[in-house]
Amino acid sequence: MTTWQVWGALLLAPYVLVFFVFVLYPVSYGLWLARNPESYRTLFEDPIFFTTVVNTIFFLLVAVNLKFVLALYLSGFFVHDRRWIRWLSVIFILPWAMPAIPTIFSIRFMFNPEWGVVNQTIFRLTGLDGPNWLTNPDLAMAMAMGVHIWKALPFWTLILMAGRLAIPKELYEAASVDGATAWQKFKYVTWPSLRTLYITSTLLSLIWTLGDFNSVYLLTGGQPADKTHVLATLGIRYIRLDQLDHAMATIVVALPFVLPLVYFMMRRLSGDEQKTSQ
Amino acid sequence: MATVVFDSIFKSFGSTKVLHGISLDIANGEFMVLVGPSGCGKSTLLRMLAGLEDIGGGTIAIDGRVVNDLDSKDRDIAMVFQSYALYPHMTVGENMGFSLRLRNDERKRIEDRVAHAARILNLEPYLKRYPRELSGGQRQRVAMGRAIVRDPKVFLFDEPLSNLDAKLRVAMRAEIKALHQRLKTTTVYVTHDQVEAMTMADRIAVMNDGRIEQLGRPLELYDRPANLFVAQFIGSPAMNVFDGTYRNGAVEALGARWPCSAKAHEGQPVKYGIRPVHFDFGSGVEAEVVVVEPMGAETELVVKIGGQSLTVATHGRSPAAPGDRISLAPNAKHAHLFDAASGARL
Ligand SMILES: Nc1ncnc2c1ncn2[C@@H]1O[C@H](COP(=O)(O)OP(=O)(O)OP(=O)(O)O)[C@@H](O)[C@H]1O
Ligand SMILES: [Mg+2]
Repeated sequence: MTTWQVWGALLLAPYVLVFFVFVLYPVSYGLWLARNPESYRTLFEDPIFFTTVVNTIFFLLVAVNLKFVLALYLSGFFVHDRRWIRWLSVIFILPWAMPAIPTIFSIRFMFNPEWGVVNQTIFRLTGLDGPNWLTNPDLAMAMAMGVHIWKALPFWTLILMAGRLAIPKELYEAASVDGATAWQKFKYVTWPSLRTLYITSTLLSLIWTLGDFNSVYLLTGGQPADKTHVLATLGIRYIRLDQLDHAMATIVVALPFVLPLVYFMMRRLSGDEQKTSQ
Repeated sequence: MATVVFDSIFKSFGSTKVLHGISLDIANGEFMVLVGPSGCGKSTLLRMLAGLEDIGGGTIAIDGRVVNDLDSKDRDIAMVFQSYALYPHMTVGENMGFSLRLRNDERKRIEDRVAHAARILNLEPYLKRYPRELSGGQRQRVAMGRAIVRDPKVFLFDEPLSNLDAKLRVAMRAEIKALHQRLKTTTVYVTHDQVEAMTMADRIAVMNDGRIEQLGRPLELYDRPANLFVAQFIGSPAMNVFDGTYRNGAVEALGARWPCSAKAHEGQPVKYGIRPVHFDFGSGVEAEVVVVEPMGAETELVVKIGGQSLTVATHGRSPAAPGDRISLAPNAKHAHLFDAASGARL
């Protein structure tokens, strides 16, 4: 080996080491734990698993898209250069900056059907019992999506804001003079410039949301009757039931969701889209 | 085609007053140039006409209709921006046809008009390209094309040539002027370059610090500047100006007597102004040559008289060399007198 190659190997070594210790080893170990085909059979037969997959797909499609439409809309509001809007944006960022565990727990307490502040207020004002926010499975699922959106919205709003701020002001002025309405300015100026960022962010968010354990587990814990699990929380359920092989199988089952997303993501980032993004 | 009337326009940004009561009538088909130093408020005035800036006070009327509360999109104006502001995701053709598309014109009509404009502006080979694939001069032409396909009531230009190199600037100047002669659309053109103003304008409004200093035809401003500011702003090379005292029909300054045709009070302190081209060689004021700048068709001399540097321009070549002593005869008919205190023309 030449000195050049020795140096190359030496400088490469830390990365290879990190890759082995933190990626290759745990992934192989996980796959090894989940190697028993029997555990997949029992997993697929578990009715909870089916509900969980449906929940997960639903969660991803609805929560992520709703979140991005909202973020797109709000980013258009927060880019306005007014003092009160700047103050409001500071408040708006808070949910994202707060730690997840105490905030989501307090939401859980607030929405407790019997003694939560929300239903108590409803009762005081109307004399009626409020909805069973967290004990009705559909409502609980919707609440979990709400929490997820509430928590992640500020971050994506900021990202899209940055994208909007990079669009030259003159383009909007030119469009005004050319006769564009507000909607047409969005359609012909904002959207073409923001599209790449929007789609890339959505893909990234899908990957992250698939791993979002907090919004569901801290709010509902999968209850009632294990009807509000998503793949990210189902693994924990099996671990708590001492079914490590099922837990690992759950994670492996999530791979068909993650891998295509990661693949598209990497393709976009590697510049296939440069033509439209410039 | 339309008239444009500014009536005592005021504008401030926060506590900074930017425009102090501007009134200006622009005739139908006129090419009006707003010229002035950086920060004098030209762009602000133009942007108010375009509807991109709120009108602080006063009224603006296009074609007799007050447009203060009208959106840009309803004013039927077209604007060419300094940065061109081409839509990056649209081809040249789409950029040019955009306003027609927003109006829901027929496809065929849009294509015809774009093709027509492209022919006028020599853009035909580039219609399918994106703005990032064009040179600065080509982008500038696309920006103009976007304006002319519409056949608007008024064209607005905000320093459209300042991003171009000197040669292209001269060429585009001629093109814009030719375009105006062909289309005869009322035009408001903002620039800080007095040469552009002189060569293109039907009338020029010289602005300074939020006011119009003088309004007139290019040669009127050149021949009879209303005050010192206009005198020194218009004309290249700039007018020589120095302090003196009016006595016996001439001005005593820099240790010499300077002839003039304007009148002032005996003993009145004045500013004497004379353009570099208005000197004859011969008997008169003694001067020492400091710098000789030959430019082929003419020669500029920087000379010293009584400790003050003056510029003298002559046609053709000059035999003078630095250090030579020459005698200059100022042309009395072309000398300007200004009040020393107010700067107003006497
Ligand atoms: N949005 C703004 N906020 C605050 N001040 C502004 C704003 N726009 C312009 N100004 C101020 O108003 C004054 C006039 O600006 P304007 O852009 O009209 O100048 P201009 O004559 O076009 O100069 P230039 O030749 O440099 O373009 C300047 O002093 C500028 O600082
Ligand atoms: Mg300007």
